[in-house]
Amino acid sequence: MSVIECHGLTKKYERNRALNNLSFKIEENKITGLIGRNGSGKTTLLKIIAGHLKETTGEIKVFSEKPFNNLTISANLIFIHDQMNLPTALNLQEILAAAAKFYENWDAKLAYRLFDYFSFNQSQYYQDLSKGMKSTFNIILGLSARCPLTLFDEPTTGMDAAVRHDFYRAVLKDYIAYPRSFIISSHHLNEIEDLLEEVLLIKEGKAHLHLPVEDFKEWAIGIQGKSSIVQEWTKDREIIHTKNIGTDQSYVVVRNQFSDQERQRARTAGLNLTSVTASDLSVYLTGKTEGGIDDVFNHG
Amino acid sequence: MMSLTTVSLTATLKKQYSYKLRAYNQVFWNLVFLQLLAVLFSLNGVGMMGSSSESIEVTIHYYSADFVVFFTMIWGLIIAIIITTKAYRNDDFTFVTNRLSHNLSNLLFLLTACLIGGLTAMLSANVIKVITYFFDGQLIVDSTSLTSALGEFILGTFTTSLYIFLCCALGYIVGTLVQIHKVFVVLVPVLFFGGLFLLGVSGNETIVTNFFGFIFKESSILLFMIKVMVTSGLLFASAFLLSNRMEVKQ
Repeated sequence: MSVIECHGLTKKYERNRALNNLSFKIEENKITGLIGRNGSGKTTLLKIIAGHLKETTGEIKVFSEKPFNNLTISANLIFIHDQMNLPTALNLQEILAAAAKFYENWDAKLAYRLFDYFSFNQSQYYQDLSKGMKSTFNIILGLSARCPLTLFDEPTTGMDAAVRHDFYRAVLKDYIAYPRSFIISSHHLNEIEDLLEEVLLIKEGKAHLHLPVEDFKEWAIGIQGKSSIVQEWTKDREIIHTKNIGTDQSYVVVRNQFSDQERQRARTAGLNLTSVTASDLSVYLTGKTEGGIDDVFNHG
Repeated sequence: MMSLTTVSLTATLKKQYSYKLRAYNQVFWNLVFLQLLAVLFSLNGVGMMGSSSESIEVTIHYYSADFVVFFTMIWGLIIAIIITTKAYRNDDFTFVTNRLSHNLSNLLFLLTACLIGGLTAMLSANVIKVITYFFDGQLIVDSTSLTSALGEFILGTFTTSLYIFLCCALGYIVGTLVQIHKVFVVLVPVLFFGGLFLLGVSGNETIVTNFFGFIFKESSILLFMIKVMVTSGLLFASAFLLSNRMEVKQ
């Protein structure tokens, strides 16, 4: 059974389309990274999965049911994001107690161990926490609820590096102990790529790529060398990114479809072939093919 | 594979209701504050009558808890609006809910709040009596109270609660409309006051008085009950229907 399945999913806000004919399928018990630039529709997608928003057209099924206004789906997923509304009248411990009542699989022991580890104080109030502390508290909710589907939208907002790494480790440990589905949207792909099994890359509201992480890492290759030679080698290929280095050197990222023989020849031609890291590739794929911020300033 | 949990509407309702009693406790502090304020105003008395002859002078001050009831009704209107606002709405959507259970648990919460409001409003009459006893220090002619006429006290509590509940229903529909579109922030008061004004100018003010008379002048408790229940039931039902497709926005 697939956890999420959607076909031609479109969501319009007033005039612009946040999601535009998006189709993909996520199988169960996977940690999927949802990658995309700001405004690419990641949050909208997660909100539709969580049943907060209703799709304009298209079809979405979560656990084979429509998520909007669905009590079963609401009980089986938890949506963690950086604008969580938590009751202002309850202190942190009372919030945990309230959440424990709502979620059947709630792991109170884990919740309190994490609570102590991140040195929260039971009588603190959520609205008095700092940004990073709020995010940390949110992930305690997300992990302890132990829902069959956990959605993390930018879960590490405001966290320092140490806490971020603790969080990734916590997700992995808990996932191994209780396999279930996670979708994590993040800007820190380099930090989470070891955690992920799959990458779902969306661009302008469409699913651009949906691959296992291993394939994603080898999906493209970087070629650096004299501009003229590079140009010759890349002319019939799918160019993902180009960048000029100095006056006569350039760096081009293309789809990795070279045979071993071709690589050998390229090296002898004086080209430098490098692998492209997942996070760089995601930036190239979701950005424009040509030009960058430099071109904004190099207008003559 | 982790098995899916199935939840029933009633189980979710119970959880949401008990959660709301704790999470929304602020509204009860507001109630205490408002009622104390109303008690203070009531100490002025609602009326005075005096007569005197050569040898005797009689002054009668009337005190009543009407102010408290009125303030509590306003409170009912306000809390119903407050719990439809984003901050309270979205609290629900953090945990397990759908729109129906969200609305139904709000209804249950408001019913409870009305009963508490009605009860404390009735009891405040005793507070007024005690204060006037000590500070006015003159003869008190008793009226209905918990000890002297339990039946009337219960009936009073019940009808007061119903009045408050009617205000809640009104507040809930107004709050829901405002959540659907911001234009209702302006539109609702304009329609209300504009309507009153237009009806008054055109000489049709009897419509308004008849409407208020319909609710407030009913002398049969049973009919009154039915009228309030039906009116607020309709208001709540329309609020439920209107908000059933509403999206959660941050």
